[in-house]
Amino acid sequence: MNSKLINYSWQFGLFILLSLVIIGTYFYAPLAKGLGEYTRVMYFHVPAAWVTVVAFFMGAFYSFMYLRKRDLLFDFYAEAASQLGIIFCILATITGALWAKESWGAYWNWDPRQTSIFILLLIYGAYFSLRSAIEQNETKARLSAVYSLLAFITVPFFIFIIPRIYESLHPDPLVNTEGKLKMNAKMLTVFLSSLGGFTIVFFWLMHLKKTFIQLSIKLQKLTDQEN
Amino acid sequence: MPDVYIVLGINLIVWAGIFGYLVSLHSKISKLKSKIDERLSQK
Repeated sequence: MNSKLINYSWQFGLFILLSLVIIGTYFYAPLAKGLGEYTRVMYFHVPAAWVTVVAFFMGAFYSFMYLRKRDLLFDFYAEAASQLGIIFCILATITGALWAKESWGAYWNWDPRQTSIFILLLIYGAYFSLRSAIEQNETKARLSAVYSLLAFITVPFFIFIIPRIYESLHPDPLVNTEGKLKMNAKMLTVFLSSLGGFTIVFFWLMHLKKTFIQLSIKLQKLTDQEN
Repeated sequence: MPDVYIVLGINLIVWAGIFGYLVSLHSKISKLKSKIDERLSQK
């Protein structure tokens, strides 16, 4: 009863936070010069990209744990985290492309930001291709764990470094090339709340995926006992 | 179309995607739980 109450109370808290973010996006935060209404896209496009990084980091972490412990459960967790990473990466790409259509005139411009996120999608797409190409569970887990660790090394380059090196049409990141944080206080409040909310949603999704994996293993064991 | 509606549309895509996925995961977990309960009750 107590754990159920705690469970519902944090979910209710998250619901309130995300509702406030949506209200803040449209009625509290001012618009940035030059971006007009498209300023509002930032409050969910950037957090989606941020969660992509967190998810791929978790994927690399569980891969590392698999290589240390050789427990297949960690491999399943790494796959789940990478799946979530791909979903958020696609969300960030789609919202970015819709924004680009209205701001730059075309959905896709091969801008450094768009190119780097596209390469990242290819790298993690290859992770799933690798997994589907190997049947033997231990070999699949070992090879994909090594691949996931190598793939994660490229993430900071494609998300944070390359877009700052080349000239881009993309608006300045939160911490710009001069290393300064340039954002109105109201905008920053909504933005950081959104970032926090998205991060909690990711960990909730990750928790659900882990529960799903554990239950699938339990069901498999029950089926094996019956046969 | 006014820009604010386009932004609202993009916002809806994001939230519909995330909550749709949350709901589908919840329903998959409930199905698995009921299958496990069914198996355990047969024993």
